[in-house]
Amino acid sequence: MSFLQPILLIGLPLALLPVIIHLINQHRHRTVKWAAMLFLLDAKKMTKGIARLRQILILAMRVIAIAALVFAASRPLAGGWLALTGGKADTVLILLDRSASMEQQNLETGTSKRVAALEKIADLIEKTGKGSEIILIDSATLAATPIADVASLADIPQTSPTATTADFPALFQKALEYLRTDASGRTDIWVASDLRQSDWDTGDGQWQLIRSELSARETVRLFLLTYPEVESDNVAVSVSQVAKRSSSGADQLIMDLTLRRPPGEGGETEVTVPVEITINGTRTIEEMTISGEETQRLGFVVPLSADDKEGWGRIDLPADENLSDNAAFFVFGDPAIRKTVIVSDDPTTGDAIRAAAVSGVEPGIRYDAEILSPSRTSTIPWSETALIFWHAPLPAEESAEAALLRQHVESGRSLVLLPPDNPSGESLFDFRWGDTITKESQPLDLGWWRTETGLLANTRSGSPLPVSDLTLFQVRLFDGETQPLLRLESGESVITKLVTEGRGNAYAWGTLPRSDFSTLASDGIAFFVMIHRAIAEGANAVSRAQTRPSSTNAIPERERAETIATAASDDSLTEPTLLPSAWSIPLSDGGRRLVALNRPQREDDLRVVADEALTPLLEGVEFRQISDQVDSGSSLASEIWKAFLIAMALALLAEAALCLPPVPEQRDERLRREHPAVGNP
Amino acid sequence: MPEPIQRDFLDPAVLGKLLGLPLNARHAMVGNVSGRHRSPVRGSALEFAQYRKYVPGDDTRRLDWRTWGRTDRYYIKEFEADTNLRLCFVVDTSGSMGYGEEGNTRLDYARKIIGTLAYLASQQGDAVGLFAGTTDSPREIPPKRGPRHMGVLLDQISLLEASGETGLVEAIHTAAEKNAQRAMIVIVSDLLFELDSLQEAFQHLRFRKHDVAVFHLLDREEVEFRFDRPTRFLDLEGGPSLLADPSLIQRRYREAVDAYLDQLNDIVNHSVIDYHRTYLDEPYDQVLARFLMGRNPKTARSAK
Repeated sequence: MSFLQPILLIGLPLALLPVIIHLINQHRHRTVKWAAMLFLLDAKKMTKGIARLRQILILAMRVIAIAALVFAASRPLAGGWLALTGGKADTVLILLDRSASMEQQNLETGTSKRVAALEKIADLIEKTGKGSEIILIDSATLAATPIADVASLADIPQTSPTATTADFPALFQKALEYLRTDASGRTDIWVASDLRQSDWDTGDGQWQLIRSELSARETVRLFLLTYPEVESDNVAVSVSQVAKRSSSGADQLIMDLTLRRPPGEGGETEVTVPVEITINGTRTIEEMTISGEETQRLGFVVPLSADDKEGWGRIDLPADENLSDNAAFFVFGDPAIRKTVIVSDDPTTGDAIRAAAVSGVEPGIRYDAEILSPSRTSTIPWSETALIFWHAPLPAEESAEAALLRQHVESGRSLVLLPPDNPSGESLFDFRWGDTITKESQPLDLGWWRTETGLLANTRSGSPLPVSDLTLFQVRLFDGETQPLLRLESGESVITKLVTEGRGNAYAWGTLPRSDFSTLASDGIAFFVMIHRAIAEGANAVSRAQTRPSSTNAIPERERAETIATAASDDSLTEPTLLPSAWSIPLSDGGRRLVALNRPQREDDLRVVADEALTPLLEGVEFRQISDQVDSGSSLASEIWKAFLIAMALALLAEAALCLPPVPEQRDERLRREHPAVGNP
Repeated sequence: MPEPIQRDFLDPAVLGKLLGLPLNARHAMVGNVSGRHRSPVRGSALEFAQYRKYVPGDDTRRLDWRTWGRTDRYYIKEFEADTNLRLCFVVDTSGSMGYGEEGNTRLDYARKIIGTLAYLASQQGDAVGLFAGTTDSPREIPPKRGPRHMGVLLDQISLLEASGETGLVEAIHTAAEKNAQRAMIVIVSDLLFELDSLQEAFQHLRFRKHDVAVFHLLDREEVEFRFDRPTRFLDLEGGPSLLADPSLIQRRYREAVDAYLDQLNDIVNHSVIDYHRTYLDEPYDQVLARFLMGRNPKTARSAK
């Protein structure tokens, strides 16, 4: 139990006053010469049991009453949760979910989940954690920020609202890193989150490491302050596939507009939402009707004026329960050529890939592919290439080629590593080619593939790709921590996503589109889709109009970049790249690159990590979950002095009841009746 | 010159008031001189008792000639014999009799009762004796008549002191034995001891056909026990002291008193004792008046 005025607890020995007074009274007795010792001795003999107990109870009640008064004056704090903390921690780590979904607010008070969580944690620390070192790690920056004044916790840039997504495995890794290097003594980790599945990514391989390290730290206690309630009337907007087209000599903008709302009672009714579309500062309002959970306007056309060769735009919805998903930015310009470079000495492989890569899938966009020998990698046009197929031994770790490949991926482009005939033994992105297995040595039946995201994800309509039609004859295995996309029945990965830094993606395919390796080329649907998904991922990086998810490093060219428009209010403390915005970045050729930053699409995923999933996720870790609601009014640490005053009153009442004298009796009369003063005269 | 013995327990006003009330015994008494009490033997008093057949040797002067004339037989006419009374006091002088304020103790109250009754008895010609019941110094003064004896007796009453443990039961047995003939035994005590032995003593007195009266002297505080703070009780009879919180034991104390009075009630009823519980705050003259009137058949009803 904690106290706001613990100094007053020094008065606690006063509770012994009744005992002391009792003992003094016992010694300050008067002395009487007494004749009727006969009755006294009898009475003493009979009074050893209940009366003694009664006296002890009276003393106990008096002690309790004074102790309760002292406790009440010391302003004790309690709460279902605080009682379990077992006192003050040396360090308090706050892991704050700053994702867009945390901006869900109570419309009456305007308090968001993020603000509610911050206020409650600040209140708790103010009441109980004075003297503890407070460290904030927010999901947007993943930086450990010491908090000097916990009262201003909700008013600092590191806790301001963002339109980002949260990566909880990374957030916990940062916390563990801090614990390993900086924290000592007892540490309380307070996690404030709305438990969105997209933020917690319960399938991430890092959780095992997090579990084992957290459970091994006996001085760490984990508290999850969660707000799993999903908004009921919120509508979110997102925009994708923005492309400028020329039709009949007039330019127009084509985009996919998506309005989403949570499932629930209102999900069956149709709601008309005024959508405000702003293009290069010119506003128009379009009425959109949403029915069900999602309404998509695919290929929504907005005519452009002749002057709008390039530019930016934003889609805005009226204010609702969550302000952070009411704005979506986009930029547009002339589409870039989607160029693929195949580094290979194998003409069969190169031709198969090139054939698929140059086949256009989007009208108005030019596709190009080039095959280069591994010896001619210096001629790769890095800045124009969206996708590189690397069918050659991996370059040495420190080589220029390896550095260029890393930079290629970091800048947002795509890379696919294909199995060389003779691996070099070198590694890239902690990935290294291994041995080859053939159908002769073991069955190469396909087992599982990832259908929700990645190159083999289901189509928009939800249909799976015909991956099961593929037949494999040879697969080169590999080593390294990767995210499998396709596995054999025996468990070995065939296609995998490498762990990289930056915006781009790197993949490794363990087989080739060659008849001695697989039927990738002949059963070409999955092959074609994979190539064009990889090209599409990398194309954004080569385009002069790019859309990126909001994050701290969304604009690496931050020094020379200029904000064109932003959803941030004038008094916003948030770093601009964490909010929906449009940016202009000057290029060396005199032109400029337009970048639109939006909340990641997965932030619109309303699924919440259920308690049943959370328990195994943190299995072995001592944690306590506090499911809260915005404006619930409850406090993590509430003052309970009233309870002590009530206890004192009850103790005094009990004491008074125990002290009540017996009902006065007319003893003289009774004596006269039962024991006559005169007998037998 | 020896200091004169104070007899302030005798109040002339009270004596004057009570002189009009005779001290009567409840049974016939055997005295050695003529008096105002009934005797079991026949005598020559004026009050007719019975007729008896003449036997040779009888005094012929007591023959009732009128009866001879009617019946032709010889009858002796007998009359009641009046005799004096042997009044014997048994006083408890144990330490507990010293209870009370200086000059107004239980023993002082006992002195007033004994002294007054002794004076009244001597005034009607009765013999008065005293047995002081204490283990330390038992005192015995056989019943006698006469002013000189009365002086000695009153002096002894003055010299009584409360000390030591009670020897009342032994004194009662002694009084029962020493008074071979019927006597009136007046016991004055607080009776604060185990009552089992008292019943035997009363039975002894009854066996000897003594007329027994008891003045049970109690203080109301001893019965009510109205203390309100921890008190150390010093035993007046020299026993160990006792520290007690009256608030804790008051109920039990009263229960003990009630049980004691129940037992005493049984004993006095069984032994047909003339019992008078007397509180020390009661005027002793009223107590004595009630006692005397209760023994007078003519005033017994109004005394109740």
